[in-house]
Amino acid sequence: MKTFHFMIVTPDRILFDGEVQEVIARTTEGDVGILAGHIRYAAILKTGALKVKLENGDERLAAVAGGVIKVSDTRTTVMSTAAEWAEEIDPDWAERSRQDALAKIAAAQNEPDRLERANLKLMRALNRLSVSGHNTGTLDQNKKK
Amino acid sequence: MPNLKDIKRRIRSVESTMQITKAMELVASSKFRRAKERAEAALPFFEQTYKLMAEIAAEDPYFNSQYVHKRAENGSVILIVIAGDRGLAGGFNNNVLKIAQARIEEVQAQGESAIIVPIGQKAVDYFERRGAKILRSYDHVAEHASIYLGMDIADLVLASYRRHVSVQSVELVFTNYVSPIQQVAECMNVIPLMRMPGTAPRRCAVEYEPSPEAVFDKLVPQYVAGLVYGAIVESFASEQAARRTAMENATDNATEMIDKLSLQYNRARQGAITQELTEIVAGANALE
Repeated sequence: MKTFHFMIVTPDRILFDGEVQEVIARTTEGDVGILAGHIRYAAILKTGALKVKLENGDERLAAVAGGVIKVSDTRTTVMSTAAEWAEEIDPDWAERSRQDALAKIAAAQNEPDRLERANLKLMRALNRLSVSGHNTGTLDQNKKK
Repeated sequence: MPNLKDIKRRIRSVESTMQITKAMELVASSKFRRAKERAEAALPFFEQTYKLMAEIAAEDPYFNSQYVHKRAENGSVILIVIAGDRGLAGGFNNNVLKIAQARIEEVQAQGESAIIVPIGQKAVDYFERRGAKILRSYDHVAEHASIYLGMDIADLVLASYRRHVSVQSVELVFTNYVSPIQQVAECMNVIPLMRMPGTAPRRCAVEYEPSPEAVFDKLVPQYVAGLVYGAIVESFASEQAARRTAMENATDNATEMIDKLSLQYNRARQGAITQELTEIVAGANALE
C-alpha cells in the first residue's frame, strides 16, 4: 500500500516521524481518515484517539489532547499540546488526574474560566484512560458525579 | 608583619565561600544541561505551528482574523517579562529587566500604558517595587514549566486582548540563549501577528474544517502557548548558563585569592621563624 510522511509534534518532543499507510483522527467535524494522496486539508482536532497504520501494517493508538491536523502534498502533521502512545499511558496517573479534575470542577462551579479549564482537564484524563484501555463510562456520567 | 592567625582565618573564609560557589556551579551546569534539552525539544512544535499559521494566512486571500489587525493607537501594551527566581547569575536578571524597563519607557513616551505579566520572582519583585500595573504574576514556575503553564498565560493574555479593544499588542521580553557564554535579552512582538514572512500570497485549494478562520483562531492560542513556553525554557537555560559562568569566575577568583593569601602566610611564618632563630642565636651569643 502506498505510504506518506506523517509527524506528530508536541512541545515536549516529536512523538512520531515516519512513513505511514493511514491516519484516522477525530476532528471537531467528525472522524477523518487520511490516505496517501489526500487533498490539502486542515482541521481542528478534538481531544480523542488517533489511530496510525504503520508502513508494515501494524496499528498504533495514541491519545491526543486537541490540536490541529494539516495535510499538505508531501506530508501530514498533527500538532498537539500533548500526545502519547496508548502503551505509554500510566493508568494510575490518568485516574489520579481524573479525580483531580473532578475535584477542580466541584471547586470552580461559579467561575466559568476555571470550570472550562477543569472540564478540559477531565476530558484529557478520560481520553487517556479510554485510549489505554480502561473503561470509565461516558463523559456525561462523569460530569454528573 | 601581618598576623599569622588573621591570615589563616581569611584563608578559611575564602575556602568556604569557594566551596559554595563551586557547588552552585555544579548545580547550575547540571540544571543547564536539562534545560537546554527541553528548550531544544520545544522548538519543532513552535516552528510547525508557526509554519501552518503562515500557510493559512498566505493561502487564503479573504483571510480575516481578529489577531492580525493592527488596532488604534493610544491603548495599552501587555508585556510578558521573564526573569529568574534567584540572583547570583551575573547580569542575567539585570539585563532582562533593563530591556523591559526601556520598552516600558518607550511605550509611556507614546502616551500608552504598559501592563506587565512578570514571570520569575526577580521580575515580580522588581515590578511590584515600582508599582507597575500587573495583570498576573507567576513565580517559581520556570524550573518545572510545562506546556500547560504556557497555555495558562496564553489564555490570560489572549482573553484580555479579545475583551479590551484598548489592548494594542502583546510583547514578550525574555533571554535568548545564543551560546554557553552568550545570552541576549530581547523584546519580541507576539500579537498582532505581523504579515508573515517567507510565504508569498497565493491561491490554492485547501479544505479547512470548519473554516480557515476557525483553524487559525485555534492555532493562535497554541502558537502563543508554544512561544511563551519556549521563551520560559530558553530563559531558564540562559539563567543557568549565566549562573554557571558567574560561579566559575567566582571560584577562579577565590582560588587566586587563596594562592595569594597562602604566599603571604608562608612568608609571615618564615619571617617568624627567622626572627625566633635570630633571637635564640643572639641569646646564646650573649651567654658566652
